Amino acid sequence: MRLAAAALALAMAVTACAPSTTTSADEGKVTLSVWGWGPEENFDKMFAEYEKLNPGIDVDARSFTTSTEYDTILSTGLAGDSGPDLAWLRAGPQLQPLVEAGRLLPLDTKTVPGLADFDENVLRAAKGDKDGKTYGVPFAVQTLQVIYNKKIFAEHGVTPPKTYDEMIAAAGKLKAKGVIPFAFGGKDDWMLPIVASIFGTAHWGGDAFLADVKAKRKTFTDPRFVEGIDQLNQLKPYFPDNAAGVSYTDAQMLFSAGKAAMFPGGLWELNFFTENAPGVELGVFTPPAPDGPGLMPGFTDGSYGVNIKTRHQAEALKFAAWLASKDYGRLYTDTLRTFSAVPGVTPKDPLLGEVATTFDQHGATYFMNEFAYGNPTSATVFAKALQEMLLGRVTAKQAAEQLDKSVSTWL
Amino acid sequence: MALGARRGSSYLFLIPAFLLYSAFVIYPLFTGLSYSFFSWKGTLRAGFAGWDNYAGLLAGPFLDQLLPALGHNALLFVGTMLVQNTLGLAFAVALSRVRRGKRALQTMFALPYLVNPLVIGYLWTLLLSPAFGPVNALLEPLGLAMPWLGDPDTALPTVILITTWQWVGFPMLLFSAALGGIPPEYAEAARTDGASSWQVFLRITLPLLKPAMATVTILSFIGSMGTFALVYALGGSNGAPAGATDVLGLLFYRTAFASGDVNAIGTSSALAVFMFTFIFGSTLLLERVLRRRA
Repeated sequence: MRLAAAALALAMAVTACAPSTTTSADEGKVTLSVWGWGPEENFDKMFAEYEKLNPGIDVDARSFTTSTEYDTILSTGLAGDSGPDLAWLRAGPQLQPLVEAGRLLPLDTKTVPGLADFDENVLRAAKGDKDGKTYGVPFAVQTLQVIYNKKIFAEHGVTPPKTYDEMIAAAGKLKAKGVIPFAFGGKDDWMLPIVASIFGTAHWGGDAFLADVKAKRKTFTDPRFVEGIDQLNQLKPYFPDNAAGVSYTDAQMLFSAGKAAMFPGGLWELNFFTENAPGVELGVFTPPAPDGPGLMPGFTDGSYGVNIKTRHQAEALKFAAWLASKDYGRLYTDTLRTFSAVPGVTPKDPLLGEVATTFDQHGATYFMNEFAYGNPTSATVFAKALQEMLLGRVTAKQAAEQLDKSVSTWL
Repeated sequence: MALGARRGSSYLFLIPAFLLYSAFVIYPLFTGLSYSFFSWKGTLRAGFAGWDNYAGLLAGPFLDQLLPALGHNALLFVGTMLVQNTLGLAFAVALSRVRRGKRALQTMFALPYLVNPLVIGYLWTLLLSPAFGPVNALLEPLGLAMPWLGDPDTALPTVILITTWQWVGFPMLLFSAALGGIPPEYAEAARTDGASSWQVFLRITLPLLKPAMATVTILSFIGSMGTFALVYALGGSNGAPAGATDVLGLLFYRTAFASGDVNAIGTSSALAVFMFTFIFGSTLLLERVLRRRA
């Protein structure tokens, strides 16, 4: 199918150069190119449905695996004439360079009616910071939680903890039996704010606290925030030895190999563990806080944007409207085993259903994505500070001060 | 007259190389320079920025990254000189006394530098992994297990050791060639006069190796200042742990491709111009000093 698409594209390119004497059989068939990241077969599977519904459209998906390269490839493609008609865009701060360069078509409820139903928090990640316009149809919401190995829990008589003390007791019990309680590595520093938010969000009070920081009523040096990130220090005995030297992939391997019982991480790990550790039965829970239930942080992962230079604007917008529909949402959830950003889509997967319920009741905004501005970004500064904290070189308070200092350069 | 005409036509033969050089070296160099004087909105060039991008490099939060990175580059250079090039010289001298299998040994020592530094980096991350790595598994019973790349104190020395492991064959080959160029009569004459082999090495061999040493020093300097692939594979784009292996190359990569900053092209071009000027200037200076001594 891709070959056919490529041949078609080539034919179109040739006819574009020649005077219009074309009598091609494929005339009238429009190819929409879509760029994204992740396995390409997932795109092909999902878009085949659209092609069935719209016989005149051929959707050609191209996937680029390396994330940082994708950003460069996309910004170069959109700047020239070789760009796609639609593309996966990053969320929030990382979207802004494309918006400011005027590479994307603003979307509204007239062209993409489905956008009206999206949650404002979800949609914010696809908006331009300065003009407040929407530039993409969000495709995924990621949640952050603890994934656990049901078999190891059962073997050692441990159940998903309801209280903070239960969690510590369970971790202690597992450690005494020679099982690493939490597979967590701090060498790849982007993991650190994620894990800090999994254990800490309830401590600093989730969205209310973030709103206070944005309104400058509070700062990140607030004792409750310090206490939250200090969880990494409190839980250090239950991480692998030399946790700061353990890489993300090492942590994944420890969990896949059954050497560790729990993996604090994003929902995308479910897909990874299902494929790479098919024998491990997975469960999820949100770590409780000392004074009540925990909060499950989440964020919008990315969105579909439309190239402002697309030669098939009407078709691209129609496709974007489909991407904002429940039909696509269900297809996305079932194909990729993560949440669709489309509102009102219930995942078939029971585990995802469980996460969805928790997120509805105890969801919160992942703090780092909201504060990833500045040069160097506050996310980079804080990830490094947390690494130093894990190494025992700075205290939680000092790490929080570094974040506060960085945020104050742009907020 | 004939000679003059021939010289004139000989310039013609330089044109193809010059065109290639212009297209792939001079043109990008000047584009980078011009980019650094503009402010950018993504890939869209906005207004003339003057020295603003350069001032941005010296602003607090950025300088906090730039100085340690530069310092790590300098430490890498010192480490390379002390460990890699000393070992390289030792191997070259030892090999010059080997009668059989000299070629084979030379090839073996030089082999790792034919492998891409990224591959070497990922290989060593696996070997040194605290969770699965065989190195610590072997050292554990001896009580010598170390965090290697996981601790800021040991990370940079570990990088130096891995660089040495990869590149030691290079100074060795250069020194071997230089050693081969020293007439054996000098050493024979010295020995006849009663000099010990240590004296022969210090007073005759070493001084005659000075030109080779100058070359090795300059190449090591350029290599250490421009290093990227190996540190990227070992510590990621942030120079983990806690920025202990951060170098100029990584800082540039982060600023240009991973910052999400709207003005990323402006800032990173200014950084690139700074790096080029610094490395080029230092190399010229180094060369002048070393050539005068040699």
